[in-house]
Amino acid sequence: MAEASGAVALPGMEVRQLERNLYEVYIGPAHPGSGHMRIIVRVEGDVMVEVDPDIGFVHRTMEKLSEGRDWMKNIPLFERMAILDACNVTLPYVEAVEKLLDVDPPERAKYLRTLLCEINRVASHLYGFGIFGVFLGHSTLYMWAFGDREIFVELAEKLTGARLTHSYPMFGGVRRDMPDDFGKHVRKATAYMRRRLDEYAKIFLNNPNIRSRLEGVGVIPKGRAVEMGLAGPNVRASGVKYDVRLAEPYEAYDRVDFEIPVYEEGDSLARAWQRVDEMRQSLSIMEQAVDWLEKHPREGFIHEKFWKTAPPIYKQVYAGAVPYAGKYRVKMIPLYASLRVPAGRSFARVESGRGEITYYVESDGKDTPYRVRVVSGSFRNVIAFKYAMPGHRLADLPAIYGSFDYFPPEWDR
Amino acid sequence: MVTAYVIWYDFLRYLIFYPPVYQFIIIPGLIAALVVAVFIIWFERKAAARVQMRYGPYEISPRTGGATQLIADLIRYSFQEIIVPRTVDAAIYFAAPVAAVILSLMPLNAIPLTSNPAFWPIPMDYSLLVAVALTTLSPIFVIVMAWASNNKFSLIGGVRESFIVTAYELVAVLSMLSVAASMSTFNLVDIVEAQSGGLWYGLLNPPAFLAAFIATLMTTSGFPFEIPDAESEIVAGPYTEYSGLMYGLDMGAAYIKRWVFSVLMALVFLGGWAPYVPGTGFVLGYLVPSLIVSAKALVIMAVMSFLRAVYGRYRIDQALGVAWEILIPLAMAAFGVGLAEAYFHVYAHLGVMAVAG
Amino acid sequence: MSTSAQGIVDRLKSALGEGISVEQLKGYLELQVDPGRLVDVARRLKESGFDHVKSVTAVDYPAKKQIKVIYHVSSMLDEELARYVVGLATSVDRDDPVVPSLVGVWLSAEFHEREVYEYFGVRFDGHPDLRPLLLTPDLAAQKILRKDFKVVEEDDYLKLTFEEYTSTKRWV
Repeated sequence: MAEASGAVALPGMEVRQLERNLYEVYIGPAHPGSGHMRIIVRVEGDVMVEVDPDIGFVHRTMEKLSEGRDWMKNIPLFERMAILDACNVTLPYVEAVEKLLDVDPPERAKYLRTLLCEINRVASHLYGFGIFGVFLGHSTLYMWAFGDREIFVELAEKLTGARLTHSYPMFGGVRRDMPDDFGKHVRKATAYMRRRLDEYAKIFLNNPNIRSRLEGVGVIPKGRAVEMGLAGPNVRASGVKYDVRLAEPYEAYDRVDFEIPVYEEGDSLARAWQRVDEMRQSLSIMEQAVDWLEKHPREGFIHEKFWKTAPPIYKQVYAGAVPYAGKYRVKMIPLYASLRVPAGRSFARVESGRGEITYYVESDGKDTPYRVRVVSGSFRNVIAFKYAMPGHRLADLPAIYGSFDYFPPEWDR
Repeated sequence: MVTAYVIWYDFLRYLIFYPPVYQFIIIPGLIAALVVAVFIIWFERKAAARVQMRYGPYEISPRTGGATQLIADLIRYSFQEIIVPRTVDAAIYFAAPVAAVILSLMPLNAIPLTSNPAFWPIPMDYSLLVAVALTTLSPIFVIVMAWASNNKFSLIGGVRESFIVTAYELVAVLSMLSVAASMSTFNLVDIVEAQSGGLWYGLLNPPAFLAAFIATLMTTSGFPFEIPDAESEIVAGPYTEYSGLMYGLDMGAAYIKRWVFSVLMALVFLGGWAPYVPGTGFVLGYLVPSLIVSAKALVIMAVMSFLRAVYGRYRIDQALGVAWEILIPLAMAAFGVGLAEAYFHVYAHLGVMAVAG
Repeated sequence: MSTSAQGIVDRLKSALGEGISVEQLKGYLELQVDPGRLVDVARRLKESGFDHVKSVTAVDYPAKKQIKVIYHVSSMLDEELARYVVGLATSVDRDDPVVPSLVGVWLSAEFHEREVYEYFGVRFDGHPDLRPLLLTPDLAAQKILRKDFKVVEEDDYLKLTFEEYTSTKRWV
């Protein structure tokens, strides 16, 4: 069908011979449902026989850029991978560097990080949910999820001062302490969100129309999911009980009480339910973290090694001795300008909203990293498009790749 | 004596208010359909916005709820640049949307909007059959559009449209014609008059109404059957390569089709101008009943539009499954119910039998 | 962690046989093997429960004229092994880097290896579909993550001629 006979040749047009009866469709990059990616699909009739995810349209070569920046300045850089999941995305980098520095953040900082991670996770899942709704033509879910995500974005703003790119975790601690009335806002938000999740189930997940689209679509059995090395909620929806928070607890996750929901079905519907259940767990973790933070006195949110170099005014503000609106809340501390990290290699992983995110950091003792390797959960899920989609109908394509909570800037890096 | 007055009078009487022209152009034809489309799109956006916790169109004229936004959109569509890709088959590319609009308006010329024979566009003896037959003409031009566009997404959309057409047409025809079985007439005037007692056919034979309703949703790619132009899968389906006014025509054809089916359903299932008895003269005998029919049709359209806020879209094979495995048996059952009603003379027993002979 | 980490080191040593150094680093254990033994060691790792690849990294050492390729593997199904990450590292010549592909062992390495290929020009022998993944072919040909590729910052000032402007571009 792609033979050039009689067709108009346009500049830049590439003509290739296809197998007989195959029809090649380019979904993306300028396509209403694709986002910043392209999926090259070869269909036979209405059934996909070959799927080639062609990614990289928002690639920024972060790994190279990071080699030319100070250790500290890489945090805002890596955050740009997934601005809606900013804390989760930068946390493993911070942890890896902390391992090299041999610095363990104070307990309070760990809880603050946990709190923001879970706020981010809920916001990120809601974002994915909204996009998923659009893919299935369900505009109501899209609006609901994006509207409710706003609550968590604003929570993050109250905590950090920025809606999306908060650059919150820093080497040895976090950037700011929590405001006084934050617990009230968190509890209000969690109560509201629990109620809303039931309504989501009513209009979307239990909607017969949506169920018939998702049930038994894009099934990935347990063994296959492990073989493809999927990450995050997608692998848990296939029945694998693997979560970094469980396998190698970081921050305060070994002290909060939560469950890892697991679904056995491995289809698109299970992946959607998986996210709903994870949101419920996140809400509970948020409440526990904020309870802990309210009960315990403000005893430093950053490691002593860095805090002792802070100017006295910072310490006065944090002690509450300076009457100003942001009581207790020291802002950005410029203590890292000449930070040199001892030579060494380290590896850290964190469970982000879209799956496990890992950093390999190598330092040669200079003020910039020698090599940083990032692999995000989204990137590990891309392979599923190639292997899970063939055999389904073209109309199932959005139902499958929406269910993986795709996010091109994160996998392109 | 031929005065300007006489010329204008004749012009209006024999050209504009001549029923075949009037019904085609004004009510319930092109102009009414345009007004309805504007209103329904506004309603659709407002209703969906209410469900989705937002305002919808608002900023232009907040007092009317942003109603003039749609007028602005209409003007924008009309004056947008029409971009014609180099690879299309130009003649057919332009002719198909126009033909689709014209042909989807055709059934409106086969329906009565009053019982006064002076205002019938055609003799009404077989009007239901003619109207239903005419509704089946326009879908072919959607497929033609898709073919002329020479685009992969268009082509897939066209194929989907053709699948949907074959699936819904039998349902629509069977469910509409079950009323003919029940009342042993094809005359839409008689059908409406039979329902004038308040016992609408939609109440007497709900499966037929349901099947016709769903078939209409399928034919006009309304949710949950928005399959031929599913945005996240195949961009805009058959309309992918159209822009500006041409795209407006495509969308207009779909809305007109839905409007035509709604008017037909209002006549067949919701009693047409039923509580009202058309009088004589243009206003009482034609305008008022036609507005009643339009209002009923508008309600049907509004319900259809509201489904957008509730449903996603089905996959093509699921939609076809719904059509062939559920709707066609349902339409058959409705036809059977109609035959049974005819056998037991339900309308005659209720004393509202208006059918002569 | 240290005692059980010692346990995992012993377990690895017994599974892989002698002649493999296990180095305990921050956050993972590194095994250094020759490229020739890579597939064999990978198979043994997989048999002992390491079922997926988390990331494939390459590090460029211009001074040593070497490129080190590291496969970070771990387990999902084995809860004990899931707590550890093992880096399977091998060093190859920088001028002609060829590494046997591990896609046959771990399917999950497929896209990671394509990425390393385009960044460093490391060829993976036996990879089923070795094409650039994220970059355009022009950019991939420059092996951008090697240390001798310098990132040119964009000039603050407008280039006066189009030729001058386009000459600063690294892609077409």
